[in-house]
Amino acid sequence: MTFVATDVSIRFGGVHAVDRLSLSVSPGEILGLIGPNGAGKTTFINCISGASRVDTGSATWDGEQLVGRAPHEIIRRGVVRTFQNVSSLHDLTVLDIVKLGEAAGRSSRGLLERFWSSERDRENGLTETVLRPLRLADIANQPLQTLSYGLRKAVDLARALAARPKLLLLDEPVAGLTSHESATMAEVIRSVRDRIGCAVIMVEHKMHVVNSTCDRIVVMASGAKIFEGSSQEAQKDPEVRRVYLGEA
Amino acid sequence: MLRHLSPTIFAVLFTLALLFVIPWLDRYATYLLISVAIAAIGALALNLLTGMCGLINFAQGALMGVGAYTAGNLGNAGWDILAVPAAGFVTAIASLVIGLPALRLRGLYFGVATLAAQFIVDYLFKILEPITHGVSGLPIRQLRVLGIVIQNDRMFATVCVLSLLLAWWAMYRVKNTDLGRSFLVVREGEIVAKGMGIDVAHTKIWAFLISGFFAGIAGALLGFNARLADPEAFTLGLSVDYLAMIIVGGLGSLTGPLLGSLFVTLLPEAIQRVAESFGIASLLSALREFTFGLLIIVFLIFEPRGLSALFRKLMFQRDARNRKKASYLNNSTQQPQGEETK
Amino acid sequence: MNFALQLITAGLAVGSVYSLIALGIVLIYKCTGVVNFGQGGFLVLGAYLTYALRAAEIPTPLAVVGSAAGMAIVGMAAERLMLRPMARAPLVAIMMATLGMMILINAVCLMIWGSDQRAYPALFPDGALDMFGIFITYNYIAAGILSIGLSLGFLAFYRFTNLGLMQRCTANNTKAALAIGIHTGNQNCFAWSMSAALAGLGGTLLATLNGLSLGLGSIGLAAFSVVVLGGLDSLAGAVVAGLLLGVLQTLTAGMLTPILENFLRAYTSVYSVGALQQVVPYCLLVVILLVRPQGIFGRKGTERL
Repeated sequence: MTFVATDVSIRFGGVHAVDRLSLSVSPGEILGLIGPNGAGKTTFINCISGASRVDTGSATWDGEQLVGRAPHEIIRRGVVRTFQNVSSLHDLTVLDIVKLGEAAGRSSRGLLERFWSSERDRENGLTETVLRPLRLADIANQPLQTLSYGLRKAVDLARALAARPKLLLLDEPVAGLTSHESATMAEVIRSVRDRIGCAVIMVEHKMHVVNSTCDRIVVMASGAKIFEGSSQEAQKDPEVRRVYLGEA
Repeated sequence: MLRHLSPTIFAVLFTLALLFVIPWLDRYATYLLISVAIAAIGALALNLLTGMCGLINFAQGALMGVGAYTAGNLGNAGWDILAVPAAGFVTAIASLVIGLPALRLRGLYFGVATLAAQFIVDYLFKILEPITHGVSGLPIRQLRVLGIVIQNDRMFATVCVLSLLLAWWAMYRVKNTDLGRSFLVVREGEIVAKGMGIDVAHTKIWAFLISGFFAGIAGALLGFNARLADPEAFTLGLSVDYLAMIIVGGLGSLTGPLLGSLFVTLLPEAIQRVAESFGIASLLSALREFTFGLLIIVFLIFEPRGLSALFRKLMFQRDARNRKKASYLNNSTQQPQGEETK
Repeated sequence: MNFALQLITAGLAVGSVYSLIALGIVLIYKCTGVVNFGQGGFLVLGAYLTYALRAAEIPTPLAVVGSAAGMAIVGMAAERLMLRPMARAPLVAIMMATLGMMILINAVCLMIWGSDQRAYPALFPDGALDMFGIFITYNYIAAGILSIGLSLGFLAFYRFTNLGLMQRCTANNTKAALAIGIHTGNQNCFAWSMSAALAGLGGTLLATLNGLSLGLGSIGLAAFSVVVLGGLDSLAGAVVAGLLLGVLQTLTAGMLTPILENFLRAYTSVYSVGALQQVVPYCLLVVILLVRPQGIFGRKGTERL
């Protein structure tokens, strides 16, 4: 079961937001996707999660094509993403959001089951498997609106985990977090990977988080892949240095 | 103390209290009770589509008309009380017919499409004479429940109150399912909803079906109450009345439609009293409209979350103060995952 | 053939009044992003104001101008009192508020003038013109010419004057307009008062054609078909679409209705199709929304409101 993206491309007008990007990830592996601003990292995530169209190329998980499918179909196949901006949703509580995440990952339930299932059992199950590991169990019934940005991101991750992902797409998971929160989040990501053995693609800027969690990294610039390998090798690669630091 | 009761038990107790009181009510009070109960069912229906799911619907009047005409025809054909749920199902289909083509449209354009639907259905009521008897209206036989004729207002009020309980309970159950939660997320924005993996089309379809069903029930009861289904009763004006109910009551909550329907139904009565005491009864309907329009505007400017939010603020002011005190003292239990950044 | 031309001419005249009303809706939308569901209220109030001024023996041109001025003030008041406090409210709430405003204005008219239909004072001389076998009353000619004149005049103003330029800036990008020093509050105010004045004039002209009653307000809602058909963000589209709709209505009333009624009477027990031409705008609306939601001249993507 691997994720294979082949020559994924998308253009907006004359700009190649993503230019023939190919990469692959295996279960249990955390792949870091880094690059300067505007490199196309989030656009790539949008492409493979169904949020954005794809002009050419393919993205398959376990052999099944993801390109062209609606977001909810992609999630049902186990490819789940998190978001950079976590908005507050009316007065839905943490548990509500997580339940929604779980429902998204599940294939359709019958009509009766939908109305009569025991909410209590389901809540307990989700609290144990998703909320407690992320230390959110205490605030399960608080509305999302009342939580800090850092906590909301944690809830978003919980939502993604509740969908039982086989491939987790993390879009800047530590953006906007304090260094303490970032370290905690990095630890959480590692433990999630250890616990459920999913594959992870992580888009990130903060190198210390990337270094501490990622097994491999891919560096993007202007929509294309310019380097793939370990983090140490990346720091020595001349093209990477040029893109980040300018002409030496 | 009351707050700690499960909402369902509270609703059942409240309904039983109402039923107990009915025999003591005079004719006018019974008439008011029926009006409010029917309005509440319709408001709950519209609240699901517009309040919870964010789909502005101007066709509520037309849908209730479909319910009334269906129930009228079935009732006249001997369907008894089954005419009411049957009207619900037919109206659910009608609601879907109106909603499906508009699935691709958002916000305003969707609203305009429902506006068009309201006028088109209005027109159909007037010309499809074989079914609707056109402008003169469809006379409707008295409602029968299992063979018993509902021959006075008190019996009918009982039917209405019980129907309201059922409608409320169904909404309460729906709100606590994944489907109900999806409604709220779709309302926030389709992109967010899709990103979370919600099948937006599926969610909207269910919103139409459930909302349409209860709009049909309300319309059916309206028809049986008036013993007539008449095109003039199901116009845009009725749709606007219901929109006002859910706005004033508070969009999205379950108590909102109840408070709103109570308020909007009793308002003309209150105005009548005031107008009579001031001797300007001739301006009655104009006054009602005026207050209506003014209230909608005032509520939207100052308390967009409606009466239910005001109510909650008043009820829980004491609670909120206590909670603040507690959290100030128990600082250590806050934020299990590091410092707050916001 | 003559009959069809007759219908088309009448349709153009009525349609041009629709254009005028629709222009107002598009103007407010472009400038402020709000869709004014209360345009029908402005329409009716304008018609009644002209009626009242004429009843006070004020000569026609002054009465019409006075009514327009009065409506401009009403529009300004609406912007200041209702729209400004709601500047940050969700769009749905604002649109519902404009609906509330329409109810309010209707109620005021009801209170002052009652619900009876009134004979409208003749604003234009009686009589008709016979052009190439087409019979057209001065009322229709005047309504048509005035509406088209006003519409084109407004389009020219929007395109060629400084104030028009500022309007276009605000319409395009409010933040950018603020950044270059345009007082967007004043621009919004202008848009609303202009729109109300245009609607009022449209109402006056409609009343000369159809008589005066509160039912005129529903034409304000029919104007939404014009707006959607032409494209919500296109002023020129509103003008063209108004004309199209007017012609469609008269052709329906004059030609489609009799044909349909004959057909129905022969094969079903339905006797009459009633006011088919009044429901035609809405059928058209549904078709447009299904096929091309952005309208004839609109840009794709505006329907994602």
